[in-house]
Amino acid sequence: MGSFSLNYLLRRLLVFFLTVWVAATLIFIIPRLAPGDPIQAMIARMTQFEGYVENADLIIEAWRKRFGLDDPLHVQYFRFLGNTLRLDLGYSMANFPATVYELVGRALPWTIGLVGIATVIFFTVGNLCGALLAWYRTPKWLKVLIPMSMTFTSVPPALFSLLLVYIFGFLIKVNEKPLFPQVGAYARGTTPEFTLEFFGSVLYHGFLPAMSIVLVTFGFWALGMRGMMVTIEGEDYMILAQAKGLKPFYVLYRYMIRNAILPQMTALAVSIGTLINGSVLVEIMFVYNGMGSLIYSGIANQDFGLIQGTSFILIVTSALAVLIIDLTYPLIDPRISLEGR
Amino acid sequence: MAEQRNPHPKSNSPLDPPVRRGASHKEGGTSTLPFPPRRGKGLGGGDRVVLSVDNLRIHYATPQGDVIAVSDISFDLYEGETLGLVGESGCGKSTTAYGILQLVQPPGYIVHGSIQVDGTEVLNLDEEELRKFRWTGLSLIPQGAMNSLNPTMRVKDQIIDVIESHEGKQTDKEALRERIFELFQNVGLPNRIYNMYPHELSGGMKQRVCIAMGVALHPTVVIADEATSALDVVVQRIVAQTLVKVKDEIGVSLIVIGHDMGLLAQIVDRIAVMYAGKMVEIAPVENVYANPLHPYTQLLIDSIPSIKERKPLKITEGITHDPRNPPSGCIFRLRCPFAWERCAEVEPPPIYVEDKHEVACHLYDEQFEERRTNALASLANP
Repeated sequence: MGSFSLNYLLRRLLVFFLTVWVAATLIFIIPRLAPGDPIQAMIARMTQFEGYVENADLIIEAWRKRFGLDDPLHVQYFRFLGNTLRLDLGYSMANFPATVYELVGRALPWTIGLVGIATVIFFTVGNLCGALLAWYRTPKWLKVLIPMSMTFTSVPPALFSLLLVYIFGFLIKVNEKPLFPQVGAYARGTTPEFTLEFFGSVLYHGFLPAMSIVLVTFGFWALGMRGMMVTIEGEDYMILAQAKGLKPFYVLYRYMIRNAILPQMTALAVSIGTLINGSVLVEIMFVYNGMGSLIYSGIANQDFGLIQGTSFILIVTSALAVLIIDLTYPLIDPRISLEGR
Repeated sequence: MAEQRNPHPKSNSPLDPPVRRGASHKEGGTSTLPFPPRRGKGLGGGDRVVLSVDNLRIHYATPQGDVIAVSDISFDLYEGETLGLVGESGCGKSTTAYGILQLVQPPGYIVHGSIQVDGTEVLNLDEEELRKFRWTGLSLIPQGAMNSLNPTMRVKDQIIDVIESHEGKQTDKEALRERIFELFQNVGLPNRIYNMYPHELSGGMKQRVCIAMGVALHPTVVIADEATSALDVVVQRIVAQTLVKVKDEIGVSLIVIGHDMGLLAQIVDRIAVMYAGKMVEIAPVENVYANPLHPYTQLLIDSIPSIKERKPLKITEGITHDPRNPPSGCIFRLRCPFAWERCAEVEPPPIYVEDKHEVACHLYDEQFEERRTNALASLANP
């Protein structure tokens, strides 16, 4: 196991903050490049609903002042950076007076639950399938079945959600009731609380969304794992493991999977951000109140504050995941050490 | 027997001068060698056959037809003997070893043959029997300097797993530790590497870990596949000495595969020379160096570089055949300086020359004595 060095930790933290800063700057600039602004969008929506809004110009001006949108860009930028440093993500312009912090706080647990559980499942299942595909003792029928199930990988998650909703939420019925609920994160009429009943309801509602993420994702991991396993199979130590007369299952997990999983762990950390983005459409499809739905509503309403806030949270999550995997890598790969060179 | 074979018991540290058994080796006749052969009198090993390979044939399947890697070879390995397996690259020496160990990887496969270790027919064992037989009957010392150790396992765990998968879970951890320390001591490794990972060791240390691992269960036969090839000459010497010392102490029979004729001369009792999948000559090491019989062996010995003179490499003369369609008769006739019609017509059988010495060449058939005399004369006066 590699030893730990303060020097490395500091350098790594510096990179972390640098990443977050660059990303924060980008998410400040990009929404402002789009034509129009959130106030106009809001007024436009009001006009749509009510036909006519009195003193629209005055409202726009007042709100712009309130949100500081009439300040020069650099003033807005530094204010944004300062607020971000204090973890003050500002107000959601479309949901005023709700703060971004509140909205994210409400949505994040749902996404962490959904994406977290889905990740654990597809990473385990994907790597296991990949390992089994490459293993010589795997039954033939499994080697036929697994590649077939990988065709799901080429279906977009949102489309796959539709398919699952149609089949399990509509077509298959038990006692005149659909097998799985079509929408929502928990049963209507229950209130979020720490009871077994509520928890069961959450799992029941989360099954289809999680499955639509798992089924379209696990094939990718299985393929990566299979490739690594085939490489490992050609290593000299595999011949020696065979010559040593070790038990086949022991060789599989201690010699093959143990070595093949290393690049998969890194890939997982890097893909955390993509995962949450990938779940956006799935969440919308299932009317699931997670980060995905929040990001979507932010974009739809040109809600600068919300876009910035949610993107920022995602970036910090991804950067944090990479930081954690970097710092813990010596624990899983003894050849890597954190000693400064 | 053990006494005679190990004149310096216990005193062999890896840094001792080169192992040289039997000080009374004959000076005459070995003058072409840059080094004296290891043994001078008699043959190493007893008379009991521990490994008997009979008519072993191994092919590699390719889209253009099977490549014949090992072609019907037979030989015996005696108890306590060290047998060297030499030949040019691709002649099938490693494939032979992997065939004996049942480790031929696809697309290679064993066509037919018989491999008996202490009376056990290896080819008849089922999967679980074979697994249990491995390492207790036959063990392998791979070219460990490179990549033969699992990079994510500590050295101790890789030795423990071989012990535990054959002898069951070891409850006495202290005894297990002592046993591994003893193995380390046998091969001259410090105890501090017990908890280390392979990447923390040098090439020579990794190779010695492989030797320690190879003899951990006191197998009947140990096969060292180019165990010293990837090391520099100094480490090579140390590893070779370790190999011989451990072999003598534990009393196993050893097959050493290599192409360093100089190194092999110092550590083996007999040498088997392979050419294109055939075993052309098997002989006590002195005979091979002092009086090689097969024309290929002669060329091979002749191509050992000499410090005294600069000579052209004769071994490259002639053409090599397509390994999918070997020539009729003798496998070596396309490159043999003495080949005549009979060589194309009849495949030479192994001819008994003397005890533990056989050669597969028509020249040594009684009825072609005249031809042999002429050939040897032409060799003496080119």
